[in-house]
Amino acid sequence: MVWLSPEAVDAAEAGERSFFLVVLIFLMRRLGWYHVHGASFIDPLGRGWLMAGDSNCGKSTTTALVASRGWKVGTDDIGFLAREGEHIVSRGMRTTIGLRPGGVALLGAKGGRYLQDRNKEAYWPEELGGGWAPIVTPEIIVFPRLGERTSVVRAPARTALSSMVMWSIWVLCEPQFAQEHLDVLGQVARQSRCFDLTLGPDLFDHPTLLEALIP
Amino acid sequence: MTKQYRRHDDIRLTAMEGEGVVLHMGERRYFTVTETGLVILEALKTPRTFEALVDAITNEYDVTTEHAQRSVQAFLDQCLSSSLIHESEH
Repeated sequence: MVWLSPEAVDAAEAGERSFFLVVLIFLMRRLGWYHVHGASFIDPLGRGWLMAGDSNCGKSTTTALVASRGWKVGTDDIGFLAREGEHIVSRGMRTTIGLRPGGVALLGAKGGRYLQDRNKEAYWPEELGGGWAPIVTPEIIVFPRLGERTSVVRAPARTALSSMVMWSIWVLCEPQFAQEHLDVLGQVARQSRCFDLTLGPDLFDHPTLLEALIP
Repeated sequence: MTKQYRRHDDIRLTAMEGEGVVLHMGERRYFTVTETGLVILEALKTPRTFEALVDAITNEYDVTTEHAQRSVQAFLDQCLSSSLIHESEH
């Protein structure tokens, strides 16, 4: 049973996307797919990356940047972590990459379709020069934040685990699924090298900087 | 009467490189724990006395009994204040 307040009914259209996303998250959890607020991609060396973090931390802009360099993109925002053999993979839905005006300007991206409800320009990865990867096996996890210059530091184990929990926060709901969800978060952190990543504007002048910082 | 400690049923735990993260499902909060904290919480799956926990630490690490006692007491106090563990008397 879901109760909507009069205010929620008035804003139903705006809340529709979030509402159905939450429903999807709870349904997928029953299949062993656990939501993570993060982007995923595969670099030219075949390494899987997971970039887990909040809105406005540079996920979509970085996703668009690496797509423009030919990387394959799983998702720019919403992934589902699941067991696949001995590994944890991130599955992404095929959607466009949504860029805010600042991201469009940084990337110098042309074209795109304006999404009025999200105030973003939408690009398919292929339009930027990349491709789509439905499954990404993370071996590098980065926790981004915006800063003056691009840099990385290795995330200590505790920081990596707590960050994974933070960006997969539904782990704190429904106790019957929590241990398996938490085990998946722990395993994906253990199978990967984890870094705190500061994203600066210099990344757009040196687009190979990510691979140079995390060889 | 002997005091015993036990992990709360609402606790979920995972580890990486000896450190861990703990979820408290009832309060919807999460905590990070150090390597020794993880050893203690793992031991508290079943009820343990303070002395048994100190033994668990001195068996695992090269520390004095006094040092282990201080560490265990400090950790238990933190866990009790966060409702991660129960205390009972037998």
